[in-house]
Amino acid sequence: MEAVLSVEGLEKSFKNTKVLHNITFDVHKGEIMAILGPNGAGKSTTIRNIMGIMYPDDGSVTFHNHQGSEIPRHKIGYLPEERGLYKNVKVMDIILYFAELKDYPIKKAKERALQYLEKFGLEGKENVSVEELSKGMGQKVQFIGSIIHEPELLILDEPFSGLDPVSQDVFKQEIKELANNGTAILLSSHQMNLVEEMCDRLFMINRGQKVIYGSLKDVKSKYANFKCTILGDNSAQQLESINQVTRVEQDGYSSVLYLEQGIELPSWLHTLPNNLDIVELKVDRISLHEIFVDVALGRSIAEEVGGTYAQ
Amino acid sequence: MRNSIKVGKWEIKRNIKNKSFIISLFLTPLIFVFFATVPNLLSGNDYDTTTTVYVNDELGTYEVIEPIIEENNMMNWDLTETNEELPTVQHRFEEEPNSAYIQIDEHTAENGVVTYVKGDDVSSQFSNQLRIIEQPLKQLQLQNANLTEEQLELISTPILFEAADGNEESQASQEEITTNEIGMVDPYESGIPAAFAGLVLFSIVITGMMIFQSASQEKKDKVAEIILSSVTPGELMQGKILGYFVLGLIQVGVWMLFAIPIAIYMLDDVPVLQHLLVPETLILVFIAILGYLLFAALFVGLGATLEDASSGSNFQGMVMMLPFIPVVIIGPVLSDPSGIVAQVGSYIPFTSPTILILRLAILDEWPWVEVLIGITILLVSIWLFMKLAGKIFKVGILIYGKNATPQEIWKWLRA
Repeated sequence: MEAVLSVEGLEKSFKNTKVLHNITFDVHKGEIMAILGPNGAGKSTTIRNIMGIMYPDDGSVTFHNHQGSEIPRHKIGYLPEERGLYKNVKVMDIILYFAELKDYPIKKAKERALQYLEKFGLEGKENVSVEELSKGMGQKVQFIGSIIHEPELLILDEPFSGLDPVSQDVFKQEIKELANNGTAILLSSHQMNLVEEMCDRLFMINRGQKVIYGSLKDVKSKYANFKCTILGDNSAQQLESINQVTRVEQDGYSSVLYLEQGIELPSWLHTLPNNLDIVELKVDRISLHEIFVDVALGRSIAEEVGGTYAQ
Repeated sequence: MRNSIKVGKWEIKRNIKNKSFIISLFLTPLIFVFFATVPNLLSGNDYDTTTTVYVNDELGTYEVIEPIIEENNMMNWDLTETNEELPTVQHRFEEEPNSAYIQIDEHTAENGVVTYVKGDDVSSQFSNQLRIIEQPLKQLQLQNANLTEEQLELISTPILFEAADGNEESQASQEEITTNEIGMVDPYESGIPAAFAGLVLFSIVITGMMIFQSASQEKKDKVAEIILSSVTPGELMQGKILGYFVLGLIQVGVWMLFAIPIAIYMLDDVPVLQHLLVPETLILVFIAILGYLLFAALFVGLGATLEDASSGSNFQGMVMMLPFIPVVIIGPVLSDPSGIVAQVGSYIPFTSPTILILRLAILDEWPWVEVLIGITILLVSIWLFMKLAGKIFKVGILIYGKNATPQEIWKWLRA
């Protein structure tokens, strides 16, 4: 696949703390690439370095299809994490201002703006003052502003924060559609469940370092092992002694057993001791969310499985 | 530059469409007019209504008094000579409450007492205004006192103060200030361009404050980062300075639409336009514009450090006060426009626009060397402040949720 953006060996320090260590990834045409990580992991810093709002201490940001060291701003759409709109202006005026800043033809921008307003359920709001919009409506207008000029690369920093589930779905749908039409999309989020359903590849970052980088499919088959939840009165010691159990989490009556990679589920079930107290038993795969939480807390997955990747 | 113009255009459009800007645009001159006229209206109708003044002159001074009063456009007296004695005119004031009666007779010549009666509607200023005839009457008294020519001349010659230099060669350049000289030069000739430049400066200090508001609001609305994905921080800053500069000019333009007709009407003897359209105006306006650029740089940088203008620290408050420093030294400058305070004031960037304009308005001979030094210092400071403001703006505009401390600002400046 054709790479639109390549980030290589990005390093950044604030004062004496290093906030980005050797960050390297690509964003391809027509794909949704997600940067995932806990708060303060360095997601926004990475994005701001790409956008030229900050400058990296080391490393390079390359926009393919572009010569020169200048950032091709008019080819990029950007929705920052800290975002807002001018208050006392009309919705259409501000969208057209964003389009004008990107050198996009005003007439075309106007048509597109009307289309998108309608798509997002904001028809007839084009002449309404921004301060009369609800927060969700404002977010939609900001989103329209970031894609009004048909960018080649769309960078969305926490696009779903502060949105209700219905609006989240609308955004998700639109982002997928843009990717299908060939836009390269880089988005950051800590809302795993949303990202799990839509991203093609992901870059997991913690304390400024790469933890996992790969396609969603690979990551899932690699890290999303089985886990077994047992309701019953069992000691942790006893559970830990079971074959192929990497870790046990106990919360009173309920115990979660994390199982080794590549396990044969039916034969493993046979190895369960007869004296276990089982009121209820459930087996499923670890979700991206759990991988994320483990990463955030720096626990076993990162240590045991992902440990080799974290260096 | 193209991006700066786009930002500038947006700022203009945004403000022009804003109701509060339009209201203040038209309200400010109206408030000025209100304050200029209402106290006069309240204090009496000296300007509008004519007071009929009957003069019973037994000394023959009427011919001298009449032109003096007619020439004075502060007084609106309709002089009428009469022969009637005081008791016979008493009843008249009931019918004509806006009239007065002055008796100038032997008693005046001997004791210097002028008897007058005024109707109820005559302004309380009347007795003060009467002083205008003091001079001719005194003259008459002196003539009657049988003084010799020399004595007369001696009495009527004002006292002369001579500032003599120790160095004899410089005698030629000694300054002579006579008590008569004040008011001899037409104050409007240099006053009108200065007033205009002052108005420009005032307006742009106001718009400078608007820049501050705008930068601070940009932070508050968190829109800066979106804009910075399309333009560089420098372009955004320049665009703001440019946009508000044009807004300031629009403001001055609208105010002039009010001010020029009013000035022409109020000062009907003064060729206002003739005084305004002189090369001096250009220089004064140029100085005013330099003043704008300096304060615009200062305010745009400062605005980027503050999320909420009302919660600024003492530091930011002090910077906000910088444009008002000239007020402190205006007294000494007025009393001695070539003095040391005035000179120093012309060289300090924060005071020089105001002080230069003020001095150039008062002085007949422009101190060109000082003006040039002042302007040079201003230009250098503008360049420096723009650089520094750019550094502060770049970092400050993206800091959310807090105001920057002086230590942080210092750090950004050194970066």
